[in-house]
Amino acid sequence: MVEWTPVLLALGILLGGVAGAAILTWWERRLLGFWQDRHGPNRIGPWGIGLVVADMIKLLLKDDWVPPFADRAVFIFAPTAIVVSMMMGFAVVPFAPDMQIVDLNIGLLFFLGMTSLAVYSVLLGGLASNNKYALLGGLRSASQMVSYEVFMGLSLMGVVMMSGSFSLVDIVAAQSDVWFCFSQVLGLLVFVVAGIAESHRLPFDLPEAEHELTAGFHTEYGGMKFAMFMLGEYLGLMLISCMIVTLFFGGWMGPDLLNEWLPPIIWFAIKIFFVINFFILLRAAIPRPRYDQLMSLGWKIMLPITLFNLVVTGGVLLWIEETV
Amino acid sequence: MSSPDAEIWPLAVFTLMVLVLVITMLLMSWLLGQRRREDATNEPFESGIVSVGNSQIRISVEFYLVAIFFVIFDLETVFIFAWAVAFFELGWHGYIAMLIFIGVLTVALVYEWRNGALDWGSKVRVGLKEAQTLEAQQATHL
Amino acid sequence: MLEVVLFYIASAVALLATILAMTRANAIHALIYLIISLLAVAVIFFLIGAPFAAALEIVIYAGAIMVLFVFVIMMLNLGERGDARERQWLQPKIWFGPAILSAVLLAEIVYLMGTVQGPATVGIVTPKAVGLALFGPYVVAVELAAMLLLAGLVGSYHLGRRALERRH
Repeated sequence: MVEWTPVLLALGILLGGVAGAAILTWWERRLLGFWQDRHGPNRIGPWGIGLVVADMIKLLLKDDWVPPFADRAVFIFAPTAIVVSMMMGFAVVPFAPDMQIVDLNIGLLFFLGMTSLAVYSVLLGGLASNNKYALLGGLRSASQMVSYEVFMGLSLMGVVMMSGSFSLVDIVAAQSDVWFCFSQVLGLLVFVVAGIAESHRLPFDLPEAEHELTAGFHTEYGGMKFAMFMLGEYLGLMLISCMIVTLFFGGWMGPDLLNEWLPPIIWFAIKIFFVINFFILLRAAIPRPRYDQLMSLGWKIMLPITLFNLVVTGGVLLWIEETV
Repeated sequence: MSSPDAEIWPLAVFTLMVLVLVITMLLMSWLLGQRRREDATNEPFESGIVSVGNSQIRISVEFYLVAIFFVIFDLETVFIFAWAVAFFELGWHGYIAMLIFIGVLTVALVYEWRNGALDWGSKVRVGLKEAQTLEAQQATHL
Repeated sequence: MLEVVLFYIASAVALLATILAMTRANAIHALIYLIISLLAVAVIFFLIGAPFAAALEIVIYAGAIMVLFVFVIMMLNLGERGDARERQWLQPKIWFGPAILSAVLLAEIVYLMGTVQGPATVGIVTPKAVGLALFGPYVVAVELAAMLLLAGLVGSYHLGRRALERRH
C-alpha cells in the first residue's frame, strides 16, 4: 500500500525549493535596494515581481554552451552535483510533526554529509572549465568550504549532547522547554558563520570575487548551468536557514504561550523568513574580508571557540546532572 | 522518538525525483537554448584579454596543506560526534577521555599555529630583530 | 522487499562504478566514479543496519578524503600528459598479473562465503551504541588514534613546508 502524503511532500519540497530560490533572487535585490537607499528591480509587474518569471525565461532560452576546451562530461556534471546534494539535504528537515521525508536516526550527519558533497561542485566546475580564473576560483572556494566544514559539524555537537540524538525530530522535541539558541549561543554563532561560508554568500563570497577572478569557478558557465549553480547557492541558504531554525529555534514549535495560535508549519515558515532576511541583512551590512583573513578567521578563531564551547557545555551539563 | 526502522521508501522516491528535476532542467535548456557562434565564442574568458598558454598553472602549496589539515581534523570530529551522541550515558569517564582527546587536538592546532602553517601567504618567519636589521640595511641603501 | 531491491541496485552501482574507476585514463573521471562507488557503499551500509557507518562513509570518505584527492589532482594539473601516461599504464601486460592474483583471492572469498557460516545478523547498530563502545571498552584506541592523527598532521606540515621553502 503506497501512501501518497510523502510523495506530495517530496513534490512540494522540489517545487518550493525551485520557486523559493527564484523568488529569493528578487526579494533579496528588493531588500538590498531598500536598505541601500536605491530602487532595486521595480519595472516588471507590481514591485517588480515579474522579474522572477522574466529571469526564468531568459535563463531557459540562453545558449546551452559547453566550451570546446572544457572536459565536457565533468563540466555538465559539476552544477548538477550542488543542486542534487542541497536538495537531498531537505529530506531530513522536519517541517512539522510527521511532515518530513524521512526521520533518519543519523539525520544531522546526513545533512552534514550532503553539504560536504557540495564541495565537488565548485572543485569540478573549476577544474573542468579549463580556464585560469575558474581553476583558481574553484580551488579557493573549495579551500574555504572545507575549512569551515571542520567546525560546522563540531558547532552542532552541543545541541546533540543536550538532546542525545542525531535525529532532527528528537532534537526539536528536546527543545520543548527552552530553545537551544539560549544555551548554545556560541554554537549558534559559529554555525551561522560556517553556514554563510559553506553556501559562499556575501560577505564570504570570495570564490566569486568579481574584483579579481571575474566569476570564480563558474566563469565559463552560462544559461541553465549557471542558473543551477545559483539555484544550488539559494537552496543552500534555505537549507542552512531550515537547519538553524530546527536546531536552535525550536523547529515547528512556537513560543510557549503563542504555540496554539498557529499551525506548526506556519511557525516554521515564519522563523525561516526571519532567518533568511537576517542573512540578506548580513550581506548588506558587512564588507568582504581578504582571503587570508577569511582563512585565519576559520582556523584561529572559530575552531578554538567551538572546542571551548564543547568542553564547557560538557562540563556544565554533567555538573547540572549531578547536582540536580 | 525516532524509530530505527523508519520507512525509507520516501527517501528513495525523493532521490529519484531530484534526479529527474536536474535532468529536466538540463534537457529543457538544451532544447530551448539559442545557438550562436561568433568569432570569440569558443575562447576561454579572461576579461577580454587574449588567452596565453593553458590553464595548467602552478598552484600554491597552501591549498594542499589546507586540504590535508581538513581531512585530519574531520577525522577527529567524527570521534567527537560519537562521544556527543552518547554523552550522558558516558558520564564523567567519557568526558575525561574527551578532554584528553581535545587536548591532543589542541596541541596539534597550537603547533600548526606557532609554525605559521595556518597563515596564508608568506611562510618565511622573520623575527623582529632580523626584520629591523633588514629594514636598516634597506634604509642605508636608499 | 524494497530494502532488498535497493541493496542490489546499490551493489550493482558500486561494482560498476569501481570497474569504471579502474579503467578510466582521465584521473578526474576515475575519481568521480570512485566517489559514486563510495556513496553506493554508504547506501549498502545504511541498508544492512549500520547508519552511523553509512554517515561516516559519506562525511569522511566521499566528503573529505576524495576532496583531498581532487585537490592533489588539481595541484599536479597534468592535463593531457597525465591521460597519455595513464593510458600507457593501463595496458594488459601491466594489469594482467595483479588481476590473476586477485581473481584467486576472489575465488577463495566466494568459496568461503558459500561454506562458512557468518556471524548472525546483529540488527541495527545505532550511533549511540557506537559512541558507547568507542568511549567505553575501546577508549585507549581512541586516544591512540588522536596521537596518530597528531603525528599525521605534523608530518604533513613538514612535507608541505619543504615545498614552501623551495618556492621562497
